[in-house]
Amino acid sequence: MAVTLLTAVSYAVIAFAVAFLLLYALRHYVLGYSRLRIDRPRDSMELAGFYMPRVTVLIPMHNEERVAGDILQALVDSDYDWEKLEVIPINDRSTDRTREIVNDFAKRYPFIQPLHRAGGQAGKPAALVDACTHATGEILVLFDADYVPGRAVIKMLVAPFADPEVGASMGRVVPHNIGESLLSGLLSLERSAGYQGVQQSRFNLGFTAQFGGTVGAVRAAALESVGGWNPESLTEDTDLTFALLLNGWKTAYVNRAECYEEVPQSWAVRRRQLSRWVTGHTECLHNYWPDLMRSKFLTKWEKLDALFLLAMYWTAPTLVAGWAASLLLFFIPEAHQTPWLPAALAFLGYQLFANQATFLEIGVASMLDGTRVRSLLLPLNLLNFFANTGAICNALRKFYWNRFWGSGGDGWYKTHRTRGAPGNGFFNGSKDSSLTTRSATGLYHARAHGD
Amino acid sequence: MAFFLYSILFCALFYLHFSVAHRAWRMIRGRESAELDMSYVRLEDYFGQSFRSKLANWMKTLQPAAGSTAGLRVFDKGNERIFVAGGAQYPAGRREREILVIEGDFTCGRDCEFEKELMVKGNCAIGEDTQLQALAVDGTLHVGQGSRVRRWVDAVKQLTIGQDAVVNSRATSRTSIELLPGAQALSLFAPEVFTEGRHENELQIEVAPPVIVQLPHPDRTTAAAHGYDPAKLYSMGANTYLYDGDLHLTAPLHLRAPFVVRGDFSCPKESLLEADVKAHGSAAIGAASVVKGNIVAGGDITLKPNTYFQGLLHAGGAMRLSRGVRGLRDKLPVAAYGAGVVTLESNVVVNGKVASAQRVVALSTPVAWLESTRIPAMRA
Repeated sequence: MAVTLLTAVSYAVIAFAVAFLLLYALRHYVLGYSRLRIDRPRDSMELAGFYMPRVTVLIPMHNEERVAGDILQALVDSDYDWEKLEVIPINDRSTDRTREIVNDFAKRYPFIQPLHRAGGQAGKPAALVDACTHATGEILVLFDADYVPGRAVIKMLVAPFADPEVGASMGRVVPHNIGESLLSGLLSLERSAGYQGVQQSRFNLGFTAQFGGTVGAVRAAALESVGGWNPESLTEDTDLTFALLLNGWKTAYVNRAECYEEVPQSWAVRRRQLSRWVTGHTECLHNYWPDLMRSKFLTKWEKLDALFLLAMYWTAPTLVAGWAASLLLFFIPEAHQTPWLPAALAFLGYQLFANQATFLEIGVASMLDGTRVRSLLLPLNLLNFFANTGAICNALRKFYWNRFWGSGGDGWYKTHRTRGAPGNGFFNGSKDSSLTTRSATGLYHARAHGD
Repeated sequence: MAFFLYSILFCALFYLHFSVAHRAWRMIRGRESAELDMSYVRLEDYFGQSFRSKLANWMKTLQPAAGSTAGLRVFDKGNERIFVAGGAQYPAGRREREILVIEGDFTCGRDCEFEKELMVKGNCAIGEDTQLQALAVDGTLHVGQGSRVRRWVDAVKQLTIGQDAVVNSRATSRTSIELLPGAQALSLFAPEVFTEGRHENELQIEVAPPVIVQLPHPDRTTAAAHGYDPAKLYSMGANTYLYDGDLHLTAPLHLRAPFVVRGDFSCPKESLLEADVKAHGSAAIGAASVVKGNIVAGGDITLKPNTYFQGLLHAGGAMRLSRGVRGLRDKLPVAAYGAGVVTLESNVVVNGKVASAQRVVALSTPVAWLESTRIPAMRA
């Protein structure tokens, strides 16, 4: 009796897993195929430079002496009109030389207006809440401190706001440390698929892009109208995407607004980063899905797309449950007497569709980016896939455990930086700004290397 | 035996699968990404500027080849040659295979063909039905009727694109661009882009139209009138409003706040739009209207005659700027972009950029002909 029940449950789990993953597989195929099919992606690049509202750039910083000089110099080099530009580096209780670096830039460039936080709630969302009370721009542009924007990025991020329906815009991040470790190489594939593939494709199809909290911009009035940043959220960016969407605002994606970032180089850092994303994202799922389904501003396709986006981390435990059920069936002799077809189909289902679909997406993005050599890493992405699956399942387990017992989860966690070193570049005694851009990062002469 | 063979085959495939990946990893190991050009800045006249700069560099670094004379200097650059001459006049039908630099004025007769770039430091007139690769001119430039430029044209002074002439890429000028009927380009950028028959508009604006629809009008209890149904209006916050459905107004509109229409949008003549408008479908603005904000549409955009716009126009479909349309504002140039064909009727003036993902084409209309003959002095 127990064995029969176990067999039935296993089949049910497999059926659910296959159905659930098949939906996601279908989504990946549609997005991948449509990305390849559309000759000219939807964008507002032709308007870049013709729409120039007042802009405030917000850069949350906590102990960022290794990278602060690079981003501030990159913003000084930006081609956005200085008269319409305000840069607020938010020094959030740094104990290193961040304050000194920021103040030095502020002395030389009047549009840099630092905000030094000495108290209050810790973390990026809380820092942004504080900074917004000082910002004077119509559009708020956000960068993490380890990002290095190109000269034209602000103009590109601002251009979509000519559309009154756009509440936020999102640019593209490109890892620069692709060769530092196998993980960073694999993450560069993942980023490529996420931005060049999924974000652009969803935007082409008329869905809202996901605001990523960095290399992005938000309309100050729209932000205020949805209650500002959520300081309690671990992913204030995803939270804002859906808060805006519920009020009819769209997030535009600007693939050409590219910015270098540093991706995790060790699996431990990656696991913690992923854990924060999973927790914040799943929190948003629980906070927003009922309102999204009722929203009068969204079509049924937009609702479906939003739901897919919110529930995406559920695919990992579903997959693991499917594997466990298959394994169980393998060891139950009675199960072998049942027709073999369902089990085989189940196996084929998520091997051929679920796994292959995401790999296909990476392939599509690599093809569009022209990163031929890097795309050959694709077979090794299995490592990343298994590591991600484990980390996501663990994070979800913790999330639901805490939710069930009403205990607090992990706090906001800053991803570890490896770029640069104290004392390098501009603050190495030289006042020559050209040296700043050629500091420890090597970013500004990275073109000597090919991919 | 079969099992043994299968195992070998499996191992071989497994090895091949990962060895390729491993080799790729060894190639990129220790490197940084080189994908981004951090100093990239978008310049509308990039092609012209870039070519001039490269040419100046070649002139500095290359030595004149044997066979150069005082009147004609020749430079070898890899497989290409650069001819540098003073002024020149090419007869009809001449074919030029090399890069040509003219340091004075240049004219060519009809049916000429230039396989490589042409740089003219004086004024330049291109004969009818001539084929060109790309053209940079420091003076005025006239591209003759029916001529075809495979890539771009850039002029420092006035650029005239003749009747039925085609520029496959960008046309830019630091002074002005005139498009004669049938002329086409992918993108046009100049302090002033205009079509034939240009003259000052004779706007017939009634000082106070009998009825004006003022939007936003968030009172949802107000009765529907003039094509506007208050029950379809929602606030998005931030003083921005969304209208859920098509909106075709029958009385002039005075728009005071950003407005999103989830459908087609049209307003009648003499409307005043002081804020941005987005239509998920098409947008049509009535004649003699004033548009101070931006207009964005998922479909087509039409500006009816004598409309004046000060912002940006962005159409997911085609765009039509009717005769007498003016686009200008203080400090910044305006821009009009359509993913479909952008049609400019006669007497259209845009101070800035007009671009399309397909083509921008000037239209010849009987009205244009009438206007240009009526006021010949204005055209001159």
